[in-house]
Amino acid sequence: MILLKKTNISDAPWKILFLSLFLSLIGLIALNSISYQNDSIIHNPFYKQLFFLLIALFGFSISFFTPKYIIHKYAFVIYGIGIGIVILPFFGSPHVGTYRWLDIGLPFNFQPSEFSKIVSVIALSRYLSDHNLKIKQFGSIVLPIFICLVPAVIVLNQPDLGTALVMLSPVFPMLYWAGARPFYLFLLIAPILSILTAFNVILFSLWAMIMAIIIFYSRSKIIAGAGYFFGNIFFGLLARPIWDMLNTYQQNRVLTFIYPEKDPLGAAYQIIQSKTAIGSGGLFGKGWGDGTQTHLKFLPVQESDFILSVIGEELGFIIIAVILITFGYLFNSIIRNSFLSKDRFSSLILIGIGTILLAHVFVNTAMTVGLIPVKGLPLPFISAGGTFLITSYLMVGLIMRFSIAYSD
Amino acid sequence: MLKADNIVSHRQYQVARLFSLLIILLLIARYFQIQIIEHEIYRLKSNTNRIRKVTKNAPRGLILDRSGEILVDNYPVYVLTAIPGEMNDKKNQFNLIAKYIETDSSIIHSNYNKYYRGRFVPTRLAKDIGFSQLSNLEENKLNLAGVYYDQIPERYYPNKVKAPHLFGYVKEVDRLIRRDLSNRELYELGDLVGWSGLEKQYESYLMGKRGTYFFEVDASGREVGPASELVDTRPDPGYNIQTTIDHNLQLFIEKLMDNRKGVLLIGMPETGGILAATSSPDYSPDLFTGLTTESEWKNIKDDPNTPLINRYIQGTYIPGSIIKMITQIAILKDGNYDLNMTHYCPGFYQYGDRIYGCWVTNGHGNVNMIQAMSMSCDVFFYKAVQLIDIDKLYNTFKQFGFGKKTKIDIPNELAGLVPNKAYMYQRYGKYGWSKGSLLNFAIGQGELLVTPIQVLNYINLISTRGNSPNCHFVIVDNLPENSNPQLEEIIWKQVFEGMRSAIADKKGTGRKSDPKIDGLIIYGKTGTAENPHGDNHAWFVGWAEYLNEKYSIVVLLENGGSGGAVAAPLARKVFTEIINNKLFTS
Repeated sequence: MILLKKTNISDAPWKILFLSLFLSLIGLIALNSISYQNDSIIHNPFYKQLFFLLIALFGFSISFFTPKYIIHKYAFVIYGIGIGIVILPFFGSPHVGTYRWLDIGLPFNFQPSEFSKIVSVIALSRYLSDHNLKIKQFGSIVLPIFICLVPAVIVLNQPDLGTALVMLSPVFPMLYWAGARPFYLFLLIAPILSILTAFNVILFSLWAMIMAIIIFYSRSKIIAGAGYFFGNIFFGLLARPIWDMLNTYQQNRVLTFIYPEKDPLGAAYQIIQSKTAIGSGGLFGKGWGDGTQTHLKFLPVQESDFILSVIGEELGFIIIAVILITFGYLFNSIIRNSFLSKDRFSSLILIGIGTILLAHVFVNTAMTVGLIPVKGLPLPFISAGGTFLITSYLMVGLIMRFSIAYSD
Repeated sequence: MLKADNIVSHRQYQVARLFSLLIILLLIARYFQIQIIEHEIYRLKSNTNRIRKVTKNAPRGLILDRSGEILVDNYPVYVLTAIPGEMNDKKNQFNLIAKYIETDSSIIHSNYNKYYRGRFVPTRLAKDIGFSQLSNLEENKLNLAGVYYDQIPERYYPNKVKAPHLFGYVKEVDRLIRRDLSNRELYELGDLVGWSGLEKQYESYLMGKRGTYFFEVDASGREVGPASELVDTRPDPGYNIQTTIDHNLQLFIEKLMDNRKGVLLIGMPETGGILAATSSPDYSPDLFTGLTTESEWKNIKDDPNTPLINRYIQGTYIPGSIIKMITQIAILKDGNYDLNMTHYCPGFYQYGDRIYGCWVTNGHGNVNMIQAMSMSCDVFFYKAVQLIDIDKLYNTFKQFGFGKKTKIDIPNELAGLVPNKAYMYQRYGKYGWSKGSLLNFAIGQGELLVTPIQVLNYINLISTRGNSPNCHFVIVDNLPENSNPQLEEIIWKQVFEGMRSAIADKKGTGRKSDPKIDGLIIYGKTGTAENPHGDNHAWFVGWAEYLNEKYSIVVLLENGGSGGAVAAPLARKVFTEIINNKLFTS
């Protein structure tokens, strides 16, 4: 047994941990550059991050040394706990107008929704690996979506749109991985896209065309296919008049929800500053500690959500590319290990966690350069932020545990 | 356990890999576009046309007196700031600045460390720069790269009214303060925040909204014009608040209480508004503006007379005889008291094995209730109070607002203390105290503690037959609800008669408070509170009626001696001032 366990551990892909630590190191270098000279240690983001990294490594060893079968057996218990802790902040007092944080009597707050990102993946993996046969039917993908929707809706009320989207992100990849027909997944997404594209005539026509082609090639029955197609068109056509019926303040409320910065000016300003910082960095950057843009403190959350602006400006495209390639390599390894897994539960855990990390990387990286609207999501391993750092390393532990080919 | 086999197909695997690869490639391409292809555009933008965000503090709202006279105003002060990243020789430049503005370079250094937020954020170096100093700096601008000056609004007090405890003060938000503010997103470092008094209580009205200006600046930090793509917002001044203070009367009582230690409050019972209030010793409100030196501050902080404490809401005092109206009302209300009853006062009273003295050691002889109030006979109350118990007395105290906060509109008020049976049990145990405590409470001694503002509210309530609105300093729409005790008219009559007799009777203890002006009728009560920590506290409480107007007054002189001899004459001066200067509102 002991011998077996030893082999077990050395079989784990340790490079995943080392690459994560490498990314954290880059983050620390950037944080050290922007830390206030005169801040006490407890308010200094660099020392704070260093401290949390130690806790995160402890969290890593917990998730790494937990046997697979325990996680499998208690998957729904873990899920229940995860839901419980995202509800907790609602019983406390709001922090800067939101219910995201828990005051735990320490000089920093705790954001339970970060931990809950993992629990939907675990519960969903358990559910999808238990229901082997029915996955080809449309009805069987409803409950999986519901599993992810519950914590996401709670988090949406905190309100935290970014985290809610991340919590929903693993649903479709995991369903696809479990063998659901892609066409069914398409049926679910289509109405949302119909509504979104309805505000632009060209986009809407294009979307209608794509929809028609997909429905045609799906070989569904004429009546069902046509009904679905026109249902979507109807949805889209309704969207515009309903939107126009809303009062300006109601429209603004929806817009503010999608763009969390209260005034669009604030968001536009952040993007201008972030792009200027990154763009002016060039190939090699302005040098560590010499970023004029970042040191202007124009970006309010540059140590967390906008850390890439600091790195882009001071360390240049070279380091940005290194970071993105490292992430790409990580995702590739995770997908490969997932493919090679012997059992379906492990395979689904890996693809689910991989999706969550990918969603973070995409949203954060794309937001920083103005590809998508500003969403407050940190960059895994690199951004400052205790709870998320710990969560990231918990995920690394899980990835490594579930990448070991033996089933225990 | 994990029985379900992995059935992911090679096709699914390739799709997933391709998907993640495409995302990474898309991101790398975007960064390549911005950092390599468009690098020159952004480099120019960053080097030659940086946007500088300048915030301008909004002037705080003014604090006005009841006739609209400005009590607390703003005036512009020059501050000197530096952008650390633009300075070429910090040490030398600090020394130069210190020389030009005639201060010590260590002050500049410590300010720099205190306000530093980043290499390119304006950092405050000095405040209250005079005009000649400014021109010194202007002449030597060449040596002072990265040094700028700016105007900010500061508090100032144009009417010579001090009232520092009332107005309170504002503080500059620094990193520590900002961290502890509940609505910290509204404040930036260097902003002002109300820290005590009205400034704190009405912070949300007074604070206003900061303006933001965006400038394009060139490589040397010179502003080359507004930033076209961003919209400026102008600072939005805070709302003014109008107080019930009469600035002439306030000035008068501040002068009157100068060099005395205690409290003087003047109120309008009909409205609950306070006309003048002073806690003495006080200090100049200017103390908190400008550059207060460490030693000045230390002097005030360590003064044994505690000028920083607001005595009228935070001083808890033994009331002495001024609460005898409470005892009187409690006896009349709950004690089945016969109005013709008299008690004989030999100058002392033996209860159990203890002797309780009257303040007149020779005794008052036979006195009825009115005479007992007039001469403040203690023995009468020792005897009469035995008709009721401690909890009955406690209830009457509560009815008149004692033992709880008055909800006056300045923060950090104390509640004082009124003991009941439960309290006495808890503090002394079941057998640790006797009914003798009741005798002490009846004349305002013992564990009782009151704040002067509670006393003013109590007088307001008596003078209006229990109908006075809550005490307040600022005119607002919704006052907190006052306790409005409702009593039978015959009880009010007894109280009025007693208090009137204390002034009008030739033996009345409060007779020195009457300026004897035609048409002016005074009701009052003196108190000489025995104080375990030193000489007796002298009290005078009461009100004056003149042309349908009522003015209530509370005078407290700490360790002043006899209320009738010391506090009552001060009240006379105040009444005289009110009548002579025609301060009546109608």
